[in-house]
Amino acid sequence: MAAAAPPPAPTPTPAPPVEHQLNPTPYTTFVRIRLATPSDVPFIHKLIHQMAVFEKLTHLFTATQESLSSTLFNSPPFTSFTVFILEVSPNPFLIAAPHLTQTLFSPIVTHVNLDLPIEDDDSEEFKIVGADGSEVYVGGFVLFFPNYSTFLAKPGFYVEDLFVRECYRRRGFGKMLLSAVAKQAVKMGYGRVEWVVLDWNVNAIKFYEEMGAKVLQEWRLCRLTGDALQAYGD
Amino acid sequence: METPATLTTRPENPKTQTSYVRIRLATQSDVPHIHKLIHQMAVFEGLTHLFATTESSLSSTLFKSPPFTALTVFILEVSLSPFPPTQPDPTLSQFTPVETRVILNSPIVDEDYETFRVVGEECLDAVVAGHVFFFPNYPSFLSKPGFYVEDLFVREPYRRRGFGKMLLSAVAEQAVKMGFARVDWMVLGWNVNAIKFYEEMGAEVLEGWRPCRLGGDALQAYANK
Repeated sequence: MAAAAPPPAPTPTPAPPVEHQLNPTPYTTFVRIRLATPSDVPFIHKLIHQMAVFEKLTHLFTATQESLSSTLFNSPPFTSFTVFILEVSPNPFLIAAPHLTQTLFSPIVTHVNLDLPIEDDDSEEFKIVGADGSEVYVGGFVLFFPNYSTFLAKPGFYVEDLFVRECYRRRGFGKMLLSAVAKQAVKMGYGRVEWVVLDWNVNAIKFYEEMGAKVLQEWRLCRLTGDALQAYGD
Repeated sequence: METPATLTTRPENPKTQTSYVRIRLATQSDVPHIHKLIHQMAVFEGLTHLFATTESSLSSTLFKSPPFTALTVFILEVSLSPFPPTQPDPTLSQFTPVETRVILNSPIVDEDYETFRVVGEECLDAVVAGHVFFFPNYPSFLSKPGFYVEDLFVREPYRRRGFGKMLLSAVAEQAVKMGFARVDWMVLGWNVNAIKFYEEMGAEVLEGWRPCRLGGDALQAYANK
């Protein structure tokens, strides 16, 4: 993740717990990956739409905030559809965030030391103001759910969506999100993390291969949907 | 038995060519058959080097959640006699076992008949011919669940008689009943028979997508990152 981080400085004194200030540059950006909650639905909706635009698939996009709210939070995290949100902030995140921590997962906090500031023209649309007045910005998300490999007889995770907003790209945030899913898979004893990539998305393919994934060239996706699927309802 | 079992005729009804077919939810007692079917599929796909499944790993992972909420397995059984009636189960998301009849134009010679036989109490004497593994997925553009079909497999003596279509249709029917938006799966690019069958069922093969997989040691490395 923070590949260029220097060795940690001694822990600064008194509470509240704060992430170590590791030789910050003027443009150090603090990052947190946490589980989404229903209040994140407006952001998730916008992010999925931006992803549909990126993939040139807006003609397939029919999601609404209501349809997301009613389908995304019906089960405990990791047992069904699960969303991690990536937030960025100019200020450190508290490591101990009890309201966000649950048995299987604690929020991941880290930082990146940037040479240039991030210019976010949509910052107001993606801003979350905390109870203490702190401002953080939603930079991306990953949506995943359990799948199953019959050859391993073990569950895995299938990553349906991985998306980082354009102004936040090429800073390692996508890798952080996908690594968070991979780490959770290992923690839960799962066998694989899988997803699909569009064959023209050379940036993504390179990124995935650098992460250790293999692109399986011989498989093709089949889909039964729309009227063709409805025909089986009789 | 000295000779392989032949389905379609019985001593008392030499002209009968009707077989009865049932698609039902798998239970723990099906695990030995499921294990063999997965191995047969690994052989078919040329992927036995990836096969690490045992009966106990199946038993401990297959039945953790109610059907259709997570991993679900349908078994397809074939019998010379009608299946005993099953009581509808209101907890099963509107699923009832699919029962149908097929007229076989040629006999099925099944050398593994004894291995895959299912003998139950109520005059049940059937053979497991195939299975389908599937679980919910989530097409976010539609924000409605779908089903992803992980494995669809029919034993070799039973192929080309419509049993694979019956299994996949059962999943599609359940998707429609539950208001799901899609049924997705993968096919090997060289499997022209399967591609043709899927297209005839109304599926599209989406050429642009490739699966990516992070597994084995490469995945384990993320434990400490």
